[in-house]
Amino acid sequence: MTIEFMLDVFRESRQREAILWRDRAYSYGWLLERLAHWQAALAEQAVPPGAVVILEADFSPNAVALFLALIEHNCVLVPLTPSVEAKKAEFTETAQGEVRIVIDEQDRVRFERLPYRADHPLYAELRRRGHPGLILFSSGSTGKNKAALHDLTGILDKFRVRRQTKRTITFLLYDHIGGVNTMLYILSNGGTIITVQDRSPEAVLAAVEKHRVEMLPTSPTFINLILLSEAYKRYDLSSLQTVTYGTEPMPESTLKRFHELFPHITLQQTYGLSEVGILRSKSKSSDSLWVKLGGEGFETRVVDGILHIRAKSAMLGYLNAPSPFTEDGWFVTGDEVLVDGEYFRILGRRSELINVGGEKVYPAEVESVLQEQPNVAEVTVYGEKNPITGNIVCALVRLKEPEDPKAAALRLKKACRAVLPAFKVPVKIEFVDEAMYSERYKKIRLRPSPR
Amino acid sequence: MEKEEVLALVLEAVEEWNQQADEEQRLEVSPETRLLGRNSKLDSLGLVNLIVLVEEKLADRYDVHLTLADERAMSQERSPFRSVQSLAEYAHLLLTEKK
Repeated sequence: MTIEFMLDVFRESRQREAILWRDRAYSYGWLLERLAHWQAALAEQAVPPGAVVILEADFSPNAVALFLALIEHNCVLVPLTPSVEAKKAEFTETAQGEVRIVIDEQDRVRFERLPYRADHPLYAELRRRGHPGLILFSSGSTGKNKAALHDLTGILDKFRVRRQTKRTITFLLYDHIGGVNTMLYILSNGGTIITVQDRSPEAVLAAVEKHRVEMLPTSPTFINLILLSEAYKRYDLSSLQTVTYGTEPMPESTLKRFHELFPHITLQQTYGLSEVGILRSKSKSSDSLWVKLGGEGFETRVVDGILHIRAKSAMLGYLNAPSPFTEDGWFVTGDEVLVDGEYFRILGRRSELINVGGEKVYPAEVESVLQEQPNVAEVTVYGEKNPITGNIVCALVRLKEPEDPKAAALRLKKACRAVLPAFKVPVKIEFVDEAMYSERYKKIRLRPSPR
Repeated sequence: MEKEEVLALVLEAVEEWNQQADEEQRLEVSPETRLLGRNSKLDSLGLVNLIVLVEEKLADRYDVHLTLADERAMSQERSPFRSVQSLAEYAHLLLTEKK
């Protein structure tokens, strides 16, 4: 009984709201009944323990209940949300899905048999252990999507210690390590999952006001959109105590601006990866990018400026790529960090670092300066090869209001020159009309391309 | 297009550079202005910026996307980036080839 410790919490909290979905509340009592219902249904549908089950859903009452039922049935869960619609067939094949469960927008559930046989050696290992599994696909912005297989027992372990819980919006997605972590954390502590169907700043902040939300786990890109849309002016956010951010580097200017507007909200950085899970973290302060990382089950070290993590909850491996772990089990994150005592500062991905004549430029630092200039909505900084300096810094900028591009480029370069050393000042600034973030509210980064 | 036309365009790029450059890197707007070597006020980053400004101007004016700084330019016996004049001549050469 992998989730027995959670069921204890549910039984103590029968009357409490577990899930708020489309303005309707579902209690922990309801969740217990529904869990039993789906366990019976899995037996009835002859889904064997160990089966690989594709779960096409977003957060909803049945999506939560089925997630737990599948854990109890020792299945391998493969959550897929509409954000990967175009890749569902490919992902299903990679995961060798044997059964598909589709949960539609009305929370109706449908079972289907699939033609694949899950004979991957990593599945055999999981079945030998008799443990449930979870597959998370990496976002693949920098190459193919890798399928990380986790032993769910390892992921669940850290939720056994009871902690304080808040009314929380499940903003990060159902098929993302951050979304799964949010859901399991809330349920393990008898909290309330507040779902949103629309993840625009307006809809999310409307939900905060309406449901007196206390915690919003999100991304730097989304925090920037909240500021940009000025949606915060139209809603009462006084219930909000904590906003967490992760999944990409936070521009310092965005953090400071949000903190100035909402000094009563604690800003907390999170850090995690599909491969190792989410670490416990503690920001130095709401307006600081320095953060303590670790917690039980996690070890960290820095080698050559890169953060390495060894985790009890690390994945078994990728289904479609070689193991990325060192022989003694460390995962090389690829993130460049600074260290100050017990605090880390995450600078960005080494692969996104721009080397200008031997000097290092982190896109986030330049983005932070551009982001705080007037009329700038959104910005992405990247490197381009150049035979004179090796690489040059380039920026794509989306403006709020139309402006002469030549004048705007000059204005922005001057602003950068005033605060950054010359090698960090963008040589090229181009303007785009389209938004530059993904459905996961993460910047879409360009790879340096040879000219 | 005439050589003079391209030279005028490079001089415009120099003017634009002067608007954003630090004082010590500002250039005289003249064909004789040195861009490389001891007699140049530009460092390598300044040169890269100026070249990109010229590329952008060529793209605006002639609707062609040229790469002025590439292996070919770097391997010339006499660098095309010696002076404003030689930069304009090199840009003109590439433009003519492209037509």
